Amino acid sequence: MNFEAIIGLEIHVEMKTASKMFSGSPNTFTREPNTCVTPFDMAYPGTMPRVNKQAVINAIRVANALHMEIDPLVRFDRKNYFYSDLPKGFQITQQFHPIGKEGYLEILGKDGELKRIGIERIHMEEDTCKQLHFADYSLLDYNRAGVPLVEIVSKPDLRNGTEAMRYVEAIRNIVLYSGTSDGKMEEGSLRCDVNVSIRPYGSKGFGTKVELKNLNSTKNIELALDYEIARQTACLLSNREIAQETRRYDEASGKTVLMRVKTDAVDYKYFPEPNIAPIQLSMEFVQNAIDTCPELYDSKLARYLQNGLSQTDAEILLSNIDMASFFEEATVKDPKLSKIIANFLIVEINAYLNKNGIAMNTLGLNPETLSDIAAFQDAGYTHKQCADILNYVLENGGSAEEARLAKHIEKQSDNASEVLAFVTGVLDANPQSIEDFKAGKDRAKGFLIGQVMKAAKGKVNPAAVAKVMDEELAKR
Amino acid sequence: MKEINMEVIHDAAHRLLFDMSESGYEMLLKEFDVLIQQMETIGKIEGLEDYEPMTFPFDCTVDVLREDIPETPLPRDEALKNAGNVQDHQIKLPKVVL
Amino acid sequence: MSYLDLSIREIHQALVEKKTTPLELAKEALERAKANNDNAFEMLLEEEAILEASKLVEPEEDNLLWGIPYCLKDNFSTKGFETTASSNVLNGYVPLFDATVVSKLKEKKCVLIGKTTLDELAMGGTGTTGHKGITFNPYDPSHTHMVGGSSCGSAAVVAAGIVPFALGSDTGDSVRKPASYAGLVGMKPTWGRISRYGLFPFAPSLDHVGFFTRDVEDSAILLEALSGRDDMDSTSSFRPVDSYLPKEKSLKGKRIAVLSEIVDAISNKEVRASFDRAVKAMEDEGAIIDYVKFGLQDLEAIYATYIVISCAEATSNDANLDGIKFGAYHGGKTYREVMSNARTEGFSHLIKRRFIIGSFALMRENVDVLFTRAQKVRAKITARVNEILKDHDTIFLPAAPSPAPLLSASSDALSDEYLIADNHLALGNFAGLPSVTVPLSFVDGLPIGVNFMCRAFEEKELYNLASAFEKISGLAGLSTVSPKEARL
Repeated sequence: MNFEAIIGLEIHVEMKTASKMFSGSPNTFTREPNTCVTPFDMAYPGTMPRVNKQAVINAIRVANALHMEIDPLVRFDRKNYFYSDLPKGFQITQQFHPIGKEGYLEILGKDGELKRIGIERIHMEEDTCKQLHFADYSLLDYNRAGVPLVEIVSKPDLRNGTEAMRYVEAIRNIVLYSGTSDGKMEEGSLRCDVNVSIRPYGSKGFGTKVELKNLNSTKNIELALDYEIARQTACLLSNREIAQETRRYDEASGKTVLMRVKTDAVDYKYFPEPNIAPIQLSMEFVQNAIDTCPELYDSKLARYLQNGLSQTDAEILLSNIDMASFFEEATVKDPKLSKIIANFLIVEINAYLNKNGIAMNTLGLNPETLSDIAAFQDAGYTHKQCADILNYVLENGGSAEEARLAKHIEKQSDNASEVLAFVTGVLDANPQSIEDFKAGKDRAKGFLIGQVMKAAKGKVNPAAVAKVMDEELAKR
Repeated sequence: MKEINMEVIHDAAHRLLFDMSESGYEMLLKEFDVLIQQMETIGKIEGLEDYEPMTFPFDCTVDVLREDIPETPLPRDEALKNAGNVQDHQIKLPKVVL
Repeated sequence: MSYLDLSIREIHQALVEKKTTPLELAKEALERAKANNDNAFEMLLEEEAILEASKLVEPEEDNLLWGIPYCLKDNFSTKGFETTASSNVLNGYVPLFDATVVSKLKEKKCVLIGKTTLDELAMGGTGTTGHKGITFNPYDPSHTHMVGGSSCGSAAVVAAGIVPFALGSDTGDSVRKPASYAGLVGMKPTWGRISRYGLFPFAPSLDHVGFFTRDVEDSAILLEALSGRDDMDSTSSFRPVDSYLPKEKSLKGKRIAVLSEIVDAISNKEVRASFDRAVKAMEDEGAIIDYVKFGLQDLEAIYATYIVISCAEATSNDANLDGIKFGAYHGGKTYREVMSNARTEGFSHLIKRRFIIGSFALMRENVDVLFTRAQKVRAKITARVNEILKDHDTIFLPAAPSPAPLLSASSDALSDEYLIADNHLALGNFAGLPSVTVPLSFVDGLPIGVNFMCRAFEEKELYNLASAFEKISGLAGLSTVSPKEARL
């Protein structure tokens, strides 16, 4: 029997707003515990929620990017449960009226075909406090309590690990490029809960759902799902029942491991939040949130391709939002230089970042300087010369021109008659070397080229010199 | 509706993270009798289904949101001074098993 | 009699003329508080009050509240002072911030004398369930009658003449009912008129800040001081704050609705007779009285509806009381034990029963027939109230069916009697309307009151009516220190 997998994803995204979802606490990542806390975050009696405008704007932008229907009447509800990380004993969320519903996202399926994945809802809510676990105790840090979240719930339209991975990548690109979140799975600012079941092809029913946790990279989502689908298939083929359970992905073994068997579903006793009056967003507000949304990944990609970048180069640039934004600043002056600038970023600058172990956003290079260096190359300096200038600037700072002068780099001519004049002169002056060359001493040619470069004070292009030299030597 | 019996209300108390004496549960069972009967009577009120469930006493819809401007957080020691068990500037609990 | 027994305007005049000082007033209030044996205080702030009062030297002529001593129900957050809502679960909790109303009164240079008792977590109506025990009625030295609740301590301290005003909270009738039992003006304005920031929530959709005074003008002065938009409470109204001081005190032409089922349900003959005299007196002043049938079925639904909605909200609001972040800590071997020890030790029976009822009402299997149904009844009842107020300036009723009941007859168990005359004040909470109780008369030496309710944000009209009524009743300024002769 053949089975197909039904995969649904719930993605929680931490927003990088200046303040928290319902309180004015700073929303900054800090290692100092309990330093970003106001009375609301610790549920002190009498504190009340105050909805963050930017969080609403972000949610609208993401909802719009996901082609969702936006509800301009913003309402919140309470999800009631007790847990050590939940200060109020309830979480404020949007159970009954999510800000966005009925959307979709297009991804490339495994077969390379475009596939539309339905999205059920997007809603705003607040994060819980962070628990640090030790051998026999846990410590609570409320810095994270109340950090704004958007939760994006897909329809069960995904069918394999690769699709799920691409779906998450696409969501991450949206939240990243809309300025909503830094979207870092490894740091928990983008978290995935995955539900997967399998059923015989053609069947309309659903199998027993298994929830997967601990998926801290898109690659792990793919691997975990592919493993889990194979595991469930093997179960059914050998007539074993699939239990409703939560499994953890074990990176070392590449397997999913049982965490806990699910008992009856928790009753969250939802009801409308009475401390937040309904908020009617004007059409202008919603439209403005959409219109002012930073340019998203797909649009940038299209634009980069239009500016002559290859698909691969464009994707490499866009895989690092800081690099992409540097690229854009550097190309403002002269978009024709896009390709050269991209090349410097992808090769030389990436190498420099790796060598020095620094991130793009801490690179002390002015985008305009890179633009100037690219302009040198465009004007006839060799790539090697320009790379030297770039590396000099990276090490020493200063402008492109200053670096050029410091490195005594001159534009090299490949004007044929100019080169020919130098070559002829050198050959005429060095008959012995010509003879050596003819006698099979290859080194003699190197010497002659060196003489030409010396005579021309480096102003001729070595490649052009070598070519003319070959031709002239052959004539002698 | 869920049937109300001793077991159900004990379970409800347990889920609310408290316990009480047996006399409390017995009294509660009697109170439930009263309440459920009244709510059933209420269910027969004509035209009730024409009304939207009401959370706010009147339409209090607003069009304002809080500007995203960070405020000064609490001094850490103050934030934690009401907690019963603190270690390393954090609230300490017996190990929370995931 | 002393300056402390005058109206706020009169005390203000005396302060401005330097016939007395805030310090003198505070000291006298503290002395009276210490001499009082009604068990009305959670905490007396003796040193702080004297310190604050002694800082007040130059009277502010344009600030009627300058230097006036007051008390606060112990469910308002006070920075630096333990606030327990009369529940053991919050023992030792010292808030980090002031409630907005507390800040406002601080700015007005009012002097806080003490924090008063309440029914535990404000969930009760008898004044008997707080962790300090029963709070008594100052009109009953034998301590056999209740003062009512949940704002029992605040009612007692104003009735006993300790302070000219005290703040309370009102979710069903927790200010306006004890005001009736204690011979006071008890006000609850429109929902959203006063910020609730810092008020420990019981049921936010029904909760109101309220206050007790000894006359209507004092109440209006306070409303003006406490009202207004507060960004910390996003349900607070943006409507500009009026001047609420009663001006037009004539009842001529006022259309007054009396709900006949409620009046008919009153079995206490003296209360009924007194109320009828009041109606007659108002008619004599030119008021047009209409006996309106509200619909008995709806009135009988008030109590259960109130219990379901308020308990459901309460079980959620009080889920933060888990012993982890603040309040009494009892330890435990697991995190769940830490939480359940705090809650088991911290809450009384009554509270636990209410929480179970509330959580039951919200359970998936029950929510439609309990919580959602109650919310629909609330909508229906509210629509009916508003319909009546379309054609009438006010709804006028006895605030309670009897004077303060005997403590021995009090019970906090849910009752199967339809005591519609005892529960109707919750109409004001369902609909969020301004509602004020004003003294009517005495029965067996105990005060009884009437209640006016007006349209949303029509507090000015409400005070005009109440003030006109006060002239008829002759009971303005009433306290046990300054007794008055009843006329009605």
